Amino acid sequence: MKSKNNHLLSLTRKRILSLEVLFCSIFILLFAKVDFAQDGEAIFKQNCSACHKMGMRLVGPDLTGVTTKRTEEWLMKWTRSSQALIKSGDADAKAIYDEFGGIMMPDQTISDEEIKAVYAFIASKSEAATAATPAVTEAVVNASADATPEVIELGKNLFVGSNAFSNGGAACIACHNVNYTGVIPGGLLAKDLTTAHSRLGGDAGILGILGAPPFPAMTQAYKGKAITETEIAALTAFLNKVDKDTANQVASSPNLLLYGGAGGLVGLLVIIYLLWFVRKKDTVKKDIYNRQLKSI
Amino acid sequence: MDVRSQVSMVFHLDKCIGCHTCSIACKNIWTDRKGAEYMWWNNVETKPGTGYPTKWENQDIYKGGWEKNGDTVSLKGAGKFKGLKNIFHNPHMPVLDDYYEPWTYKYQDLFTAPEGDDQPTARPVSLVTGEHMDVQAGPNWDDDMGGSPDYARQDVNLEKLSASEKEAMFQLERMTFHYLPRICNHCLNPACVGSCPSGALYKRGEDGIVLINQERCRAWRMCVTACPYKKSYYNWNTGKSEKCILCYPRLESGQAPACFHSCVGRIRYLGVMLYDADKIATASAAPDDRLVDAQMDIYLDPFDPEVIKQARLNGVADSTITAAQNSPVYKFVKVWKLALPLHPEFRTLPNLFYVPALLPTMATVADGVYNSTSKSLWNGVESNRLPMKYLASLFSAGDTGKVTEVMKRLMAVRLHRRGVTVGDLNAAEISQALKDVQMEPDTADAIFRLTSLATFDERFVIPPAHREESIEMLENTGDVKGNTGFGFKQKPARGL
Repeated sequence: MKSKNNHLLSLTRKRILSLEVLFCSIFILLFAKVDFAQDGEAIFKQNCSACHKMGMRLVGPDLTGVTTKRTEEWLMKWTRSSQALIKSGDADAKAIYDEFGGIMMPDQTISDEEIKAVYAFIASKSEAATAATPAVTEAVVNASADATPEVIELGKNLFVGSNAFSNGGAACIACHNVNYTGVIPGGLLAKDLTTAHSRLGGDAGILGILGAPPFPAMTQAYKGKAITETEIAALTAFLNKVDKDTANQVASSPNLLLYGGAGGLVGLLVIIYLLWFVRKKDTVKKDIYNRQLKSI
Repeated sequence: MDVRSQVSMVFHLDKCIGCHTCSIACKNIWTDRKGAEYMWWNNVETKPGTGYPTKWENQDIYKGGWEKNGDTVSLKGAGKFKGLKNIFHNPHMPVLDDYYEPWTYKYQDLFTAPEGDDQPTARPVSLVTGEHMDVQAGPNWDDDMGGSPDYARQDVNLEKLSASEKEAMFQLERMTFHYLPRICNHCLNPACVGSCPSGALYKRGEDGIVLINQERCRAWRMCVTACPYKKSYYNWNTGKSEKCILCYPRLESGQAPACFHSCVGRIRYLGVMLYDADKIATASAAPDDRLVDAQMDIYLDPFDPEVIKQARLNGVADSTITAAQNSPVYKFVKVWKLALPLHPEFRTLPNLFYVPALLPTMATVADGVYNSTSKSLWNGVESNRLPMKYLASLFSAGDTGKVTEVMKRLMAVRLHRRGVTVGDLNAAEISQALKDVQMEPDTADAIFRLTSLATFDERFVIPPAHREESIEMLENTGDVKGNTGFGFKQKPARGL
């Protein structure tokens, strides 16, 4: 009897346990869902705001009303991989890419839910914007143009790494190159930044990217090692200076290596041919063999 | 005076019958290995002929040896700049076809071929690739003037002859040949040693044998190019260069090198020469017409007390000095002046000397009767079948006076001995011939004796190697006394 009771007791316990698990799961799922919805704004700030701004064209287009302009499916595809969409032959995607000077939007590694959350945020913002007065295009303000030489110098030092970033991030030169007096050629892993300032639409683009790096490699590199505001300002000023200082910008042909290498090879072969012109070219028995073969 | 000892050699070409026994003895001992099949550390050539490797004497092709450069000499094909320029590919190096592609025959096919209407044959297969091949050349393809237009007429030494002289050499009743056995000359100024970027080549201090350290050789093959005699060979299997070692393991145990020992015609002599190392630099840079004399000046008189004193100071053993005094090479080269170095113009100061061959006199055949062109049995050396210019190109850097003198001395000995043994010659003629070369009849007899009747020990005077002394320089023999000796390959089961 006692044993049967025990058995019943354990059954009840098991049921209670499974119910608990079920409720917990539902709770977590609900809570998480809510969390995503609220997080749209945060994700936008982290991943998008470097290039996009509501009600203003920055590096990328103004996203106001984009949710009504495009289908959700198209937006999802574009966000996951804009290049894949362009390659698939989508005319709209190609047009946007060309319109914004061929600066590719990096593939976003966030989940579909997060992307949806971002677009939900954009949609809510757009409604508010249309309700209010139409956005006035602000004139591009480039405060960095007025930077003192000291600030530019600091930016340069931060770029080449002679001054370390206060939070320990890697120096820009590790991956980037600029053509500027006194700066050695930098890395080729990431884009050449010589004309980055104008390409990315002035101070705002640079500030956005440095404040919250949107590119996967750069995000990883500066995770937990954020660049401080003073440093960002200095770097922006430096990049602005580099961009303006056209004297240092050498127009480099992308095929220089190919043509130069081929030309160099031909030149080298000519030198080798001349240097070793007097040499033993055949076996000394060649004439003997030839005559003997003829006489057979 | 920096007196050192050098194992030197004399080959008496009058006695060489071209049997290649020396080559086979050497091949069986040293170069019967994979990668070494094409090498002939000792080879016998027919002259006129192109030799082995083909046209080796033509340094316009192979860039071997030294060339005079003001007061000094520099390597023709190697050295700091030239060596660096060609360090990864040396265009002057002989290729395998310049030697020949070694081969064997598939003898087994003779026994295993299926029954058929025709005879089975043993096809030649390459010892390099293992594939069937068409044999095109061998190491002595010009033997006995075989393939004469291809080989004899292309002899580099004929270049100094006029066209008519050249043509005359190939006329019936004028045509002649002799043999030229060659080994490493173990030169006093070896170009191979001078060219090695790895420092793998060296000249042994005690006997002057030139060796390649197989552990230091890095296969640059500069020595192959630099040696004007082409006596350094590259082993494609081991990736190291090899050359004649003058059978030093045999020499150290008192035996003559294999090619010397096996020589059927007993043409070879080996002995020690004392020389003054201080004179090497000036002698190697001597003007062409003084080259032979300058080299002869290097070799010292082993009976001179001053030379003996300096030799002892330099650590030359008394037994070596005695060997130098008894050296047949010293007699042939310095005392009798009968032997000359091969191609002294390469400026390596070779230590192998040749007694040139007295060739048959010219004759004509008229109406089926063989007529000697001269009244006497031996005509003057001037009407020798081989032009003196040709012999001078081989042995005296083009100085015909030098070879003519040697030929006259040889002729005097021959006339004298004909007088002694046959007695059909005019005595006045014989004494005139001896007087012409300032030779006493006793000397002529001595030359005859060493040439024709010499015993083994007279031909090869090998000094003791004194290994027991040289090992004491490296280690204290007392340390190992009692530790080595009789041993076991497998220890006995009961233990030691």
